[in-house]
Amino acid sequence: MRTTQGRPFFGSTLAAGVIGFFFFLLAVEAASGQSITIQGGNVTLSITTGLAGSEPLPVMNTATRLRYRRTLYTQKITVQTSCPGQNFGLTVVASNVTAGTAAPQVTLSNGMPPVDFITNIPFGFFSNATATLNYTATATFSQGNSAELGDDLHTVTYTISAQ
Amino acid sequence: MMRIPYLPTLLAVAAVAYSTAGAQSHNHTVRVSVAVITALKVSSGTVNLTITGAGVIAGQDLMTVVDQSTSLLWGTNSSGKKVTVQSNLASPKYTLKVEALGPTQGTAAGQVVLSSVARDFLLNIGRSSGTCSIRYVGEALASQGAGSDAHTITFTIANQ
Repeated sequence: MRTTQGRPFFGSTLAAGVIGFFFFLLAVEAASGQSITIQGGNVTLSITTGLAGSEPLPVMNTATRLRYRRTLYTQKITVQTSCPGQNFGLTVVASNVTAGTAAPQVTLSNGMPPVDFITNIPFGFFSNATATLNYTATATFSQGNSAELGDDLHTVTYTISAQ
Repeated sequence: MMRIPYLPTLLAVAAVAYSTAGAQSHNHTVRVSVAVITALKVSSGTVNLTITGAGVIAGQDLMTVVDQSTSLLWGTNSSGKKVTVQSNLASPKYTLKVEALGPTQGTAAGQVVLSSVARDFLLNIGRSSGTCSIRYVGEALASQGAGSDAHTITFTIANQ
């Protein structure tokens, strides 16, 4: 096919269709709401026991999970936290990942930059994927207790973006 | 017929716009709470101190025996703490003394005579996890004759 000027014609109906399709995808993406959500609400981890001559026992929570949408390009999810006056340890790692590759365990520290959490989330036509959030709280005897120092309150943020 | 100039550019812009439009975030709150935790453990449950008379010096009334086979392990995440020691026997027949040796945290309070009243054993252990050896000294006077005392000894992490 050729244009009226004699150049190869991508431009007529086909080109308009391609461009229109991109904007259609944008519209679908916008209309379909959050592409990443945390299911299960907020999390509380309570360290209550310790070993003489050793340290308090870590506590794990796996009650929440990420639900994220695959799309037409490879994506990744990063994690970061804000926890002013942090006293205790907190780590997170993904398990049961249905799309993508779980990164190694991430230590959550106040003010940290975004760190890879799930990478290489493959192409998919707006299908949803999930991953379990495995939080582990740790403390040492020398780090003290919440009665004297207060609880650590982390605002943990997960971000999905193009990789 | 529709004419689209700069088609490759438009396609690239659309693709880039699409691929960057999807960055989204979500957050939740994770609370980490640590209770007041104190833990104490003695390495062995039973210590026997036996004065047999071996090595007793003629003319000397006091006989002693020493045991240093056990240790104390502790952990506390509260500030301003110490360890005390006491026996369940208010008036034992023989004298039993105890002291902490080589604490990894805090300061040994020195040798104390065990009674039913709590006495300082370790001071200033603070927020720590540590160990020390326990040194018992049993004393008997020849004039006290034969017999035995069975102490139940209690170590306690207490406010300093």
